Amino acid sequence: MKANNNLVDWLPNDLGGVESDRFQRVDHEMLPWEKRCHALADVLDQHKIVSTEEKRRAVEALGSDLIGKLSYYERWAVGFATLLFAKGVISPGELARKMAEVASRFEPEAS
Amino acid sequence: MSAHMHDEGYGTTVGRGDYTPGYYEIMERSIAELLVEKGRISADDIRRQIEVLDSRNPALGARVVARAWVDPEFRARLLANGRAACEELGITSYEDTELIVLENTERVHNLMVCTLCSCYPRAVMGLPPDWYKLKPYRARAVKEPRAVLAEFGTIIPEDVEVRVSDATAHVRFLVLPRRPAGTESFTEEQLAALVTRDAMIGVTTIKSPVSAGGSTR
Repeated sequence: MKANNNLVDWLPNDLGGVESDRFQRVDHEMLPWEKRCHALADVLDQHKIVSTEEKRRAVEALGSDLIGKLSYYERWAVGFATLLFAKGVISPGELARKMAEVASRFEPEAS
Repeated sequence: MSAHMHDEGYGTTVGRGDYTPGYYEIMERSIAELLVEKGRISADDIRRQIEVLDSRNPALGARVVARAWVDPEFRARLLANGRAACEELGITSYEDTELIVLENTERVHNLMVCTLCSCYPRAVMGLPPDWYKLKPYRARAVKEPRAVLAEFGTIIPEDVEVRVSDATAHVRFLVLPRRPAGTESFTEEQLAALVTRDAMIGVTTIKSPVSAGGSTR
């Protein structure tokens, strides 16, 4: 048996049975943007643009490093972006321009 | 002070400089705006779905459990087809998912988890608590369920089998807890008030409300 045989036993997001710490009973009130992000996921599924299963796989494809560094809904946002690029629904350039525009709306007005 | 308001939808009229969204919130807003501009979704779709999300909570599941406790025929239909039985109570699924109801008995205690992500019976429970979505619960529930249950203060006798069910995007579970002793005279409404979210996940049981010092958490 080669030493690298078991490397694919677990994909980054498939956590069943892996070593883990005791858990804390943590919870938080959903932030407005998190709720919108969840609603967006449901709407994408209802409109057959991105299914729940596709979204899960896109999050898994981020890899364990990113999965560990992004919060739950941050992962979803990135997952949507990569899927929508791959499906040709939006382009990376469009998203970058839109993000700059959205960010500029929140900047204090120069006076 | 400048007048401003926070809009839950996307037609945001937050005052400039009052609030700075994070990078990923900007990404989320931008994706939604682009999809609306392209006519793939509408802003109303999102607002309506937020209302749907707000309308789902564990009280719905508690109604289902209480009905199953008082009506054996309903319980049989619930165990045969969870989704159809919930629809009898006006609880509809907005996703194309199956709902399997796992009945706790004297011999079997059920626990649900989603090792892959965070699949959860949202139609009857709303959104899952954070701990359900985090690594420790997902990793350990399938490997050492009794230890996990003990951390919730739930000790299941050794002669009771612990069964763990792992949800997927298409198959969701709901644990039907055991009806606590001493509730024979309770109305369906009083019973529903005893049913907790954690008991329907399977990490706790429902304590008898009449036993000495019995707390129902």
